[in-house]
Amino acid sequence: MAAGPRPRKSFLRHEKPRRATRRSERRMAPLVPKSGDAIFASIDRVVGPMNTAEASTKSEALINAELFTLTYGAMVRQLLTDLEEVDVVNKQLDQMGYNIGVRLIDEFLAKSNVSRCVDFKETADVIAKVGLKMFLGVTASVSNWDPEGSSFSLVLDDNPLVDFVELPDTFQGLHYCNILSGVIRGALEMVSMKTEITWIRDMLHGDDAYELRVKLLKQIPEEYPYKDDE
Amino acid sequence: MIACVAVVGHQNNPLYLQSFTGADDALKLHHIVHCSLDVIDERVNNPKRSVITLNESYLGLLYPTESYKVYGYLSNTKVKFLVVTTDLDVKDTDIRSFFRRFHAAYVDAVSNPFHVPGKKIISRIFAARVSGIVKAFAPGTYG
Repeated sequence: MAAGPRPRKSFLRHEKPRRATRRSERRMAPLVPKSGDAIFASIDRVVGPMNTAEASTKSEALINAELFTLTYGAMVRQLLTDLEEVDVVNKQLDQMGYNIGVRLIDEFLAKSNVSRCVDFKETADVIAKVGLKMFLGVTASVSNWDPEGSSFSLVLDDNPLVDFVELPDTFQGLHYCNILSGVIRGALEMVSMKTEITWIRDMLHGDDAYELRVKLLKQIPEEYPYKDDE
Repeated sequence: MIACVAVVGHQNNPLYLQSFTGADDALKLHHIVHCSLDVIDERVNNPKRSVITLNESYLGLLYPTESYKVYGYLSNTKVKFLVVTTDLDVKDTDIRSFFRRFHAAYVDAVSNPFHVPGKKIISRIFAARVSGIVKAFAPGTYG
């Protein structure tokens, strides 16, 4: 009956120490990658060799580069069969490239996040280092600026479009990669630069590299489609 | 020493024939290659093939004549690669690696969009590569 003294509960409060916020856990604004390689690594669809190791590190969907080369080759072959004249085929490839370029520029600008180019020199670098890297997987070098700075040479050492290709003697005047010149022309025209592009060197004709001469004809200022005073 | 190499299509049409002897016996080599095609047909229709179901059938020594030996190799698209050699003792592994490289050069040549399948291979790069492979095959005895 006699209740002993109530055992005292010991209320040892184990207070958990509050974790100090680590510096690395604080959110930082994602930096816009500046170099071509970094942009390249974040692209979803990339043309590259069918290498599973690369596929796992870079992105999910890769298409086989050989499939791309063979598709382009089949297309050029079909154009030659249909049109029969080398000059007409060259012009047709350029026109096809132009149509691709006017659409490709939007995807390029959306994916690459490059800032507005200040002058033509910066445009040249962006095309060579970022654009070609993103879509063809090769970097080109820019050289041979003329004194006014209005034309430059784009030199490609490696070109995935021409793997395995050997031009037969009957088609020696063919510019096999003319689609590239059309693409660049179309893309630049959509950002208000009218250009003229010619091939200087072509590996299929025996030279050691591919050289494109890009000449700026004029800058077209953007026009307002509406009239302001109405 | 390799006397000549040949590529024959699946309808027994010649796609490439190159002789490396320097002497003017191209006709004799043509004849030997032709006879070897018959041996290949025999081997292909032989039930022995059903046991070995490899992708690329290395056919081995096909036709030993008095001074030549002919080795054959069949791709799974029925394209036949033949090599005529005057060497008396050739290691099997050497010939196999030769055929592997030959096949790789052929595949690259055929991937050319300007090559018409079924017609002769006119690629100069292919000819140069084949000459290189032949030279590399017997570095001591060639020349």
